[in-house]
Amino acid sequence: MEIIRNDVKNRVNLREINRYLGYGAKAPDDSIGQMITEVLDELLCVVTPRNLYKLYNSSIVGKQVMLEASGSTIIFESQNLADNLSQCSKVALIAATLGLEADKLLQKYEILNMTKAAIAQACGAACIEAYCNILQEQICASLSENGRKLYLRPRFSPGYGDLPLQYQRTIFQALDCTKHIGLTLTDSLLMYPTKSVTAFIGLTANPQSCHIDKCAQCDNTECEFREL
Amino acid sequence: MEFNEMSFREQLGKQILFFDGGMGTLLQERGLKTGEIPETWNILHPEIIRQIHQEYLLAGSNMISANTFGVNAFKCKNLAYTVEELVTAGIGLVKEAIQEVRTGERSESKQPMYAALDIGSLGKLLKPLGEITFDEAYKTFQEIVIAGDRAGADLILIETVSDAYEMKAAVLAAKENSDLPVVVTMIFDESGKLLTGGDVASVTAMLEGLGVDAIGFNCGLGPDQMKNLLPQLTACCSLPIVINPNAGLPVVVNGQTVFNVAPEEFAQSVRTLVEMGASVVGGCCGTTPEHIRRVVELCHNMEIKAVTDKKLTVVSSYNHAVYFTRKPLIIGERINPTGKSKFKQALRDHDMEYIYKEGLAQEENGAHILDVNVGLPEIDEPQLMEEAVTGIQAILDLPLQIDTSDTAAMERGLRYYNGKPMLNSVNGKKESMESVFPIAKKYGALLVCLCLDEDGIPETVEGRLKVAEKIVKTAAEYGIPKKNLVMDALVLTISTGQDNANITLETMRRIRYEMGIHTVLGVSNISFGLPERSRINTAFFTMAMNNGLSAGIVNPSSEPMMSAYYSFNALIGEDEQCMAYIANASQTTDKPSAAPSQKNSVFTLDEAIIKGLTESASEATVKLLEENMDALSIINEKLIPALDVVGKGFEEKKMFLPQLLMSADAAKASFEAIKTTLSKQGKSSESKGKIVIATVKGDIHDIGKNIVKTLLENYGFDMIDLGKDVAPELILKTVQEHQVKLVGLSALMTTTVVNMEETIKLLREHHAGCRVMVGGAVLTQEYADMIGADFYSKDAMGSVRYANELYEQGEL
Repeated sequence: MEIIRNDVKNRVNLREINRYLGYGAKAPDDSIGQMITEVLDELLCVVTPRNLYKLYNSSIVGKQVMLEASGSTIIFESQNLADNLSQCSKVALIAATLGLEADKLLQKYEILNMTKAAIAQACGAACIEAYCNILQEQICASLSENGRKLYLRPRFSPGYGDLPLQYQRTIFQALDCTKHIGLTLTDSLLMYPTKSVTAFIGLTANPQSCHIDKCAQCDNTECEFREL
Repeated sequence: MEFNEMSFREQLGKQILFFDGGMGTLLQERGLKTGEIPETWNILHPEIIRQIHQEYLLAGSNMISANTFGVNAFKCKNLAYTVEELVTAGIGLVKEAIQEVRTGERSESKQPMYAALDIGSLGKLLKPLGEITFDEAYKTFQEIVIAGDRAGADLILIETVSDAYEMKAAVLAAKENSDLPVVVTMIFDESGKLLTGGDVASVTAMLEGLGVDAIGFNCGLGPDQMKNLLPQLTACCSLPIVINPNAGLPVVVNGQTVFNVAPEEFAQSVRTLVEMGASVVGGCCGTTPEHIRRVVELCHNMEIKAVTDKKLTVVSSYNHAVYFTRKPLIIGERINPTGKSKFKQALRDHDMEYIYKEGLAQEENGAHILDVNVGLPEIDEPQLMEEAVTGIQAILDLPLQIDTSDTAAMERGLRYYNGKPMLNSVNGKKESMESVFPIAKKYGALLVCLCLDEDGIPETVEGRLKVAEKIVKTAAEYGIPKKNLVMDALVLTISTGQDNANITLETMRRIRYEMGIHTVLGVSNISFGLPERSRINTAFFTMAMNNGLSAGIVNPSSEPMMSAYYSFNALIGEDEQCMAYIANASQTTDKPSAAPSQKNSVFTLDEAIIKGLTESASEATVKLLEENMDALSIINEKLIPALDVVGKGFEEKKMFLPQLLMSADAAKASFEAIKTTLSKQGKSSESKGKIVIATVKGDIHDIGKNIVKTLLENYGFDMIDLGKDVAPELILKTVQEHQVKLVGLSALMTTTVVNMEETIKLLREHHAGCRVMVGGAVLTQEYADMIGADFYSKDAMGSVRYANELYEQGEL
């Protein structure tokens, strides 16, 4: 657990934390910056990041994405997802969470100090992103070892574009998230623990892939948090 | 059952017993498709399920888990079958398989055979951090238990659960709705942690308290990893131990998860587990009838280790156990309204935050257990006890001592507690023992016993010991062992009797060392009526610890008391290299140096608020009040204009959310100072009007709502916060009850905006004239218009502007 926490710490994007806090591209002043460091450290002390993934062979017909593994196939209907995965022969379905301890810390801050609560919220979001980045690179590297090099497509999650959130149920069933990493899905399709991600990760032999600039791909140009 | 000479309960712990192995992979080999619910095969393909059961019986299994693991109301929602149908069919198939094997020709199997109702996790996280309530979880398990009991199960196996609280709901459902033996096996990771944070010791303490029949591990790990974990369990468990490992750790081959420890290797490892103390063994994922056959062949003649009572006195929270040992413990006494007018007011105002802050401060100051007393004559104590216990457990990790004389509040507190609780208290009166012992026994509480009875507090040591002996004897009649009792020898102030300390200390010494029972004391009572009480308290605390005090109920923020505590531990050799003592000493000597810089604040109130300096804001306010500026002027001329500066800066993107919130916190501190002064003068601060605020049903993200609430409070609005995941009906009811004219609703996801719309509709139908403002990540002006909201707030300041406008127009 210690190693994972350290990796996440090294990978956390501080600019992203600032952005979540509404600073845009600006930097917070020293006292807030100090507070961010403190909260991030405390958060990283308590979290228990866990993940789970499964690899599929992917094929696409129109806007149908078919993921096949050991003889059974799951089908998703979404043009945006189909576009995202169009050049991918392999797709990983991943689930990752910072664990319940992150939620506990958030609740504690909401009682003791709202400023820290807002900062912890932003740090949590940045940490789970960092954790997913580490994970997807591990997946990519492990697959690339067997011969040719593969590249990552941007992570794509239910709720993005025209991929309905309802597919969360499909993903939860396919991965058995609750049993393996304690991730649960509510009737309204939200996840507990709250600092969690489920996503498709396309792997392609085509080096044009970008897996960083997620905002550029998104239609919501009004978004408060859009990275420019 | 005619073939079994003895019941499962009689066999358990006397001889080795074997569970069956995996089911899932066997079903997949026989054609179960991905996404198909295995339990439906109880009805669709009964012959296949029965056959698998038979294979395990022929391999030598004693207990066959019915194919009911995934059956529950949540998972059956969209199935063609009810929970009862699937459970009844599942148990029926095991019983048929047993019958056939017994009477069949190819059988040499004459081992005892039992049908286990297999109950798995619900796949939902429980509140306070999750989605469903404890009662909902309980009811869901109850339905399964009733069906399984009716269908003729011989035992209940609760397995693969990774949340202690969910386990508690399942065990209570099992025990309250059947007399069947209950076996619980949990899924730990290699470090010995549940996915929700519990460890082996904490969960074992809880489950033993709840009276289950056997405890163990299943799934998650292979037999070799369980070897590393088993010593943790044998060290603390006084019940037979069950081990059902996977066939190794999962390995992904061609995208498929497989377990590849072969039967022979598996059986050898299981044999070692039996040598180490397991008395019931079987398999989980990836194990087959062949695995079990080899296990039975290798182990069936083995002598099992005798189950011994570890005689541990222990309490636990959701994530750790606290043991009563030679080293004394600190029980924080501050969550208690006795003699605290502010605390009483907080209880009357239902100000839970006040209680939580008291708890957090005591945890910070080194308490090991927190006493929770929320009793006031005019409040609904059982309800508040439940809220306090679950609310405190949502944010802090310490075990709790539920402190009340109201048996209804006791039961509520104990039932909704996550872990093995402490209960304060029972005494030697017949009535007290008759009402408290059954509750303590049922929930496995560690019970505080007061040495008094119908004749009052005995004046002599002998008298108090006699009461203690009576309590121990009667507790045993209720099945409560000595290890689950802690005695309070009672403290009377030395100001009314000069021998009072001596009597207490001698009684305690004899209880601890002659009766062998741990002790507890409310230490500070010793100095009642005397000046400079902390001097006497500290001396007495040290004397008490030296005379067998196991746990002192004290104020952990009292420096002299904690100094005495750390010094004592260092002196008796219970503080390695005096580390705890040194840490505490350096902490207390550091404090004065930090204080002056804050005290000499030069900031005016508006500066302090704009800069977000909490302490300076509070001091500046006090200074203004001392200069006779009246409260209203301070608010209107200093506080609000300063908040406006920050608010404006925020809207112009010159200041940012953290600064806005720091200013809000500073303003809050200023308000507190004003409130304190006003209440001293018998006045209260003026409210601009009531606003109800809530995160809508189905939605669990509430930080945005909480930010809005904080800001509106600072602008003088009276906020009624209903929390998150709030049903439209509750919002309507609250609005009607309080005649509220403005409601703020928050939603984060498209899936929950529908509930926002529903709430608005309901308000429009039944409470016309109430305005609704909305906000949240997915909302836009268009969306807000579409669902009929009066106002869309794109950020926290928007709602302040809107509420202020309404107030100025006299519409709030």
